[in-house]
Amino acid sequence: MAQQYSRGTGVKYMLAGGSVVAALGLLVDPAKLLPGQYPVKDVCQEIVQPQAKLSRDALTRLLAIPERSHQNQVRQVVAQPYCNLKNLQLRVGATSRREAYPLEFDPSTWLVVLYEGEEYAGYSFSFRH
Amino acid sequence: MTLLHHLCLRRVSLYSWLAVVSCLLLTSCMPTSNPSTRLQLKLHQKWQLQPGDRVAGYAVLGGLGDITIGLNRAAVYAPFNGRTQKDSRNCIVFSSPDVPAYLFRLCGLEDPRVGTLNAGDRIGRATTLEFAALRKQPNGTWAIVEPSRQILERTLKQP
Repeated sequence: MAQQYSRGTGVKYMLAGGSVVAALGLLVDPAKLLPGQYPVKDVCQEIVQPQAKLSRDALTRLLAIPERSHQNQVRQVVAQPYCNLKNLQLRVGATSRREAYPLEFDPSTWLVVLYEGEEYAGYSFSFRH
Repeated sequence: MTLLHHLCLRRVSLYSWLAVVSCLLLTSCMPTSNPSTRLQLKLHQKWQLQPGDRVAGYAVLGGLGDITIGLNRAAVYAPFNGRTQKDSRNCIVFSSPDVPAYLFRLCGLEDPRVGTLNAGDRIGRATTLEFAALRKQPNGTWAIVEPSRQILERTLKQP
């Protein structure tokens, strides 16, 4: 009878312990344990102007420039970028050049501008710098 | 008899409690998707049929401007850091803050990942992938352009 009782509690403890281990396992993110899963940031290839910062006023004027304008229109607003990002081949027959401008009022955010040939293609905000 | 009954009830209540807790833990891990946030892309080209449309009752898998690749259920990867969203035709649209003025549309993916991705993360698998590169136009529409071999290789091979 006593043996019966201890076997019953043993199973209970095993179940309880197993549940705790399983519950803890749910808290672990296996994707983070695997090597080589760190984000690869699109880093600067060449620093052009280390002091370059984009003011609120310059940003407003830059955002008003239509896509596919001549790149000189952008150059009139912002002379030199902080850095150049790696060139890309996105579509056949065009090399995409990218320039990055940290915002004066939020330096961790960059405005990225893309050109193809003489043409300004567009902008985006990159928040991870 | 009553003692056994009582013990039985206690065990049942313990198990049901455990089941409820595990269900709550599991559902908290599920990704949330809101179908109302689907992208409505306005294409520059005014072509009649696009992937996801139907003609004579059959599904259109690819349209003009899509590159069709036989992947045989191989995986497709995020070419840059960015995000995936579903569009109104159930295709995946990939965008990256590091690549302005461009979107990449992927149709034919099985059970794709929607949300923020790092470069090289798996988006999904496909038997046949329909790939389109879209470039922003001044009037806010997106023109289908010819994707380069490099951007296709970046999407099909893990870096």
